[in-house]
Amino acid sequence: MRLPQLKPLPDRLLRLQALSLFATLDARELRIVDGLLHERQYQQDEVIFDEGEDGQAIYFVFAGKVTICRQGQPESGRIAELGPGSFFGELALLDNSPRAAQARAATACSLGVFFRMDFQELLETNALTASKLSLQLARHLGARLRDSVHGARAEQHL
Amino acid sequence: MSIGVRRGSGPVVWASIIGSTCVLLFLLQKILWLVIPFLLGLILYHLLFPVITALMYRGMHRADASALVMAVLAIMLLAFLALLLPWATEHLIDWQASLVRYLQGGLSLLDRSWRALEQSWSVLARAHLADKLGIRLSELSDHAEQYLEPVVSGVATWAPSMLLAPFITFFILRDGGRFKRMLGAAVPNAFFERTLYLLHEVDCTTRAYFVGLIKLTLLDTATLAAGLWWMGMPAPLALGLVCAILAWLPYVGSLLGGILVVLVAATDFPQLPDMAYGAVALFVAVRMLDDFVYMPLTIGKSLRIHPLVTVTMIFVGGAVAGISGLMLVLPLLGVVMVVGDTIGRIVTDGRLLARYRHGRALREKRAKADLLV
Repeated sequence: MRLPQLKPLPDRLLRLQALSLFATLDARELRIVDGLLHERQYQQDEVIFDEGEDGQAIYFVFAGKVTICRQGQPESGRIAELGPGSFFGELALLDNSPRAAQARAATACSLGVFFRMDFQELLETNALTASKLSLQLARHLGARLRDSVHGARAEQHL
Repeated sequence: MSIGVRRGSGPVVWASIIGSTCVLLFLLQKILWLVIPFLLGLILYHLLFPVITALMYRGMHRADASALVMAVLAIMLLAFLALLLPWATEHLIDWQASLVRYLQGGLSLLDRSWRALEQSWSVLARAHLADKLGIRLSELSDHAEQYLEPVVSGVATWAPSMLLAPFITFFILRDGGRFKRMLGAAVPNAFFERTLYLLHEVDCTTRAYFVGLIKLTLLDTATLAAGLWWMGMPAPLALGLVCAILAWLPYVGSLLGGILVVLVAATDFPQLPDMAYGAVALFVAVRMLDDFVYMPLTIGKSLRIHPLVTVTMIFVGGAVAGISGLMLVLPLLGVVMVVGDTIGRIVTDGRLLARYRHGRALREKRAKADLLV
């Protein structure tokens, strides 16, 4: 008996699957996420969001680098530098708080943007997808807490 | 951010919102043939979107889900028409006779009421108002065809444009997300998050209005039907539903609904004038209930517009664009309030404007990097 041939994922979905938050989603769920994601291009040094701003979206780095820093201090106040595959801005979505730091493009970069209401709707309307995303978010926050406790890396403090 | 209590919306923003609403009302009444099917399309979209979402979460593409839902709807509609048309053709002559009978019943009630008033008030009796009214109404009914002709030709002109509604629904269902992304892509990075929020708020406002309208219609239907049934009127549910749908037109629609109920009461119970007066009382009571309880609980709550602004703008809408203005003013005001508020916030936010200029300067610098001498 021949097993059904699994169709390879299109490049767009593969790119999404490479992001840690979406790593456990299947093709169907990735397609839904892809339909909700916006893509933005930023120039080097361009501000993505400011400290204290209302957080309306979570950002994913597709290409380039992003600096997370204290407001207006990209060098002296640098908290982390994020590369492709990482995401930032999720805390503002979870606890509805203002942005805790500034995000700037360290190099010209391509970012995926997930609007908070689309993200919340996705969590509220599909239990399985919600559990997968929540677990990935919990892992991400756990890793950050561990790093913070051990002082190994001060990463993604948003 | 609340769309009703506008932190920071000053008098300039408010004046702009009201001015823009009036200008839009004036312009939209010129293309009413497109606006009405678009509104119906939006109502259908908000009703069907949860089904599309459910199908999408079961693995279907948005385009396929939209096509499937619209196809099922079209089949149901065609089946309904196939069943209804033979029955309607069969009863067409009865309906014509009923229409004439109900009109005559209404005229007779009016005549009886005036004559009763003349018996009680000598001033009215001396003026012979009942006779004059009778002559005037008789003239009107003799020349009914001249009033019917524009109505019939109007319906014939409007009917084809109504066919646009399902197409509009289908394309919004299928391409709504794409359109939103296209609109977002056209906005500079500095304003992007605000734009996403704005689009979301516009969507929420229109959805809240139409869902509120549907809830209001159901509540009105149930209340009127219960009252008419209690009074012993025929077909209470159908009458209640027709009156509730007519009430979509503020004030004018309610008046038409009231006249309809009174005509039925006066004709079906000619020996019981109290039925007609009871129907008027019921209708007034339901209107009060509607204005002070149902409306604030449904549409008013969903749009979060202050009642004074609501009432004022309904009158302004009527003055600017007639009946269409009455109908369009509230949803339009809700959307213009959200857009005006967001634009007001953006143009007064120095930091956002500075970020926009900075981003533009960086792009220009990059574009001419190899052009420098």
